[in-house]
Amino acid sequence: MQEIEKKYYHAIQIVSENCTGCTACVRVCPTEAIRVRERKASIDNSRCIDCGMCVEVCQFHAIIPRSDPLDMIRKYKYKVAIISASYAGQFTEDISYPASKKALIELGFDEVAEEAMVTGFMITMIREYIRQNRHIRPVLSSNCPAVVRLIQVKFPSLLPNILHQEAPMSVLTRFLRDKIQREENLKDDEIGIFLIVPCVAHVTAVHQPEGVYRHLQDGAFSIGMIYGKVREVIRKVQESGDLPETYDQGLTIALSGVEAEMVECDDINALSVNGIENVMNILSKVEDHYLDQYDYVVLRSCTNGCVGGCLNVENPFVAMSRIKKMSKNAPTKEVVIDELDTLYRRGEFAVVPLEPRSIMELDKDIKSAIQKMKKINEFLIMLPGLNCGACGSPTCYALAEDIVLGKATVDDCVSLLKRYVRDE
Amino acid sequence: MPDCAVARFEMAEYWHINPIRTESIRKYLELRPEAEVVLLGEIAEKDFVNAGKGSSEVKNALKRLGVDPDTLRRIAVAAYEAEINVAAHSRGGRMTSMIFDDMIHIVYEDRGPGIADIEQAMTPGFSTADDLVREMGFGAGLGLPNIQKNADGLHIHSEAGSPTIVEIITYFI
Repeated sequence: MQEIEKKYYHAIQIVSENCTGCTACVRVCPTEAIRVRERKASIDNSRCIDCGMCVEVCQFHAIIPRSDPLDMIRKYKYKVAIISASYAGQFTEDISYPASKKALIELGFDEVAEEAMVTGFMITMIREYIRQNRHIRPVLSSNCPAVVRLIQVKFPSLLPNILHQEAPMSVLTRFLRDKIQREENLKDDEIGIFLIVPCVAHVTAVHQPEGVYRHLQDGAFSIGMIYGKVREVIRKVQESGDLPETYDQGLTIALSGVEAEMVECDDINALSVNGIENVMNILSKVEDHYLDQYDYVVLRSCTNGCVGGCLNVENPFVAMSRIKKMSKNAPTKEVVIDELDTLYRRGEFAVVPLEPRSIMELDKDIKSAIQKMKKINEFLIMLPGLNCGACGSPTCYALAEDIVLGKATVDDCVSLLKRYVRDE
Repeated sequence: MPDCAVARFEMAEYWHINPIRTESIRKYLELRPEAEVVLLGEIAEKDFVNAGKGSSEVKNALKRLGVDPDTLRRIAVAAYEAEINVAAHSRGGRMTSMIFDDMIHIVYEDRGPGIADIEQAMTPGFSTADDLVREMGFGAGLGLPNIQKNADGLHIHSEAGSPTIVEIITYFI
């Protein structure tokens, strides 16, 4: 068990001193990864998908997101920041997007690239992938790392449906690594490429990417942290003038609904889903072949897509409205599409077939698993069925399962305990 | 009652078994061993909001047993279709899922009105679904054929005017 625990990096950390044992996190966790025992929460690392639901719900700063310290960029000769599209929605209207982009140079980066730069290319690539894989219905989007892990953990039968190509920021990373090595005459390890990300799932994806063939990014910074530092230097940047160009039209990749609209065309029927509960419902329907009429499903774990990530500072609806306005009147600006296309044709953006991470199994051996299930059902009858979570397990079923797996005892049930006390 | 009318109301039975499973299924039906785990679910008439919960429960149980993903999906499709059938075409009923360490046997018993012609019901595209059912996006006439395609064994026992029993058997390996 210990080995499995160590196997997975997570960008979510529990601060035990702050934990009151309130069980709010236990109840929101989509993979039932959290338990409260002896009034402290703990996360099962093999189950956690880094969706950030627990971070959002914790009132006591006991579950905090981890991201890298900005200082780490100093180790590299040439420092590149790639900003996630949702970054553009964070600043109030008096701070322009080009200014907030230039501010990153002020913070020490040599080059700033935008996820939005590759949106046009991504849409073309996704369409081509769908057309080449007509036997797969529907193709599931791969750019939300929490969703990819959710599928590995809870819907392994759908792994072949995932779009097996890199997400936009990784596509951009590959492209930039090649370009900078060539143009700046630098070695690969002299270039540091960092993502500025809206959620913990992306931090984890940088440190423990799924299905990659080689080294991608060197670190991930939270939008919230960068936002604070940008506010400090923004006045200076605004006064200096000479602002960089930006790719506003592509920013809509941060919005799950708009991505689906962009991919949709005469021969591609697309659906957009956001919010982890909705995503799970849809995946269950896909499993039942109930959504085979769709060619592509955009799945994002957070509300409205990446603008809803827990490392953002702005409300997801406000950020969405800003981004929609920015992209609406923006001119079309296609970057380096030929070079991206060349890399794509060479298979540079392909990913290793994704492996299941089946945490649902009660036992490797089906005979033992079924015996355990039998025992779980026996305990389940004893339990009150309130799903109150007071025991520290999310549901009565989960407690029964924990009891059978030796992780809890019947005495953990508060409701039963009360009954015993009264009867005595 | 004239002869032809009597014939129409005769008991009808339909079997479809994947040839490689004939022996195992025959043996199973003969011995009728007690299942390790049994899941029960009620299916209410025209309740499309909740229809599907039973098959979803089955799916979760099979995931916990570590059933191979492709087999799991086949079972999920068959179980879901059969559950929707009960909600759409009958007065409601129940499903009983008997889980063993090598297979699952799901029995759907409804409260009528029965299938008049099973062979016809097995024809892809044939449907007796009413407008409400079609409005909900069901009733395309692919239910039973789809179940047959995805199960190792399908048994239908029905007569017009009486309850219908649909049984699905699928092996894990």
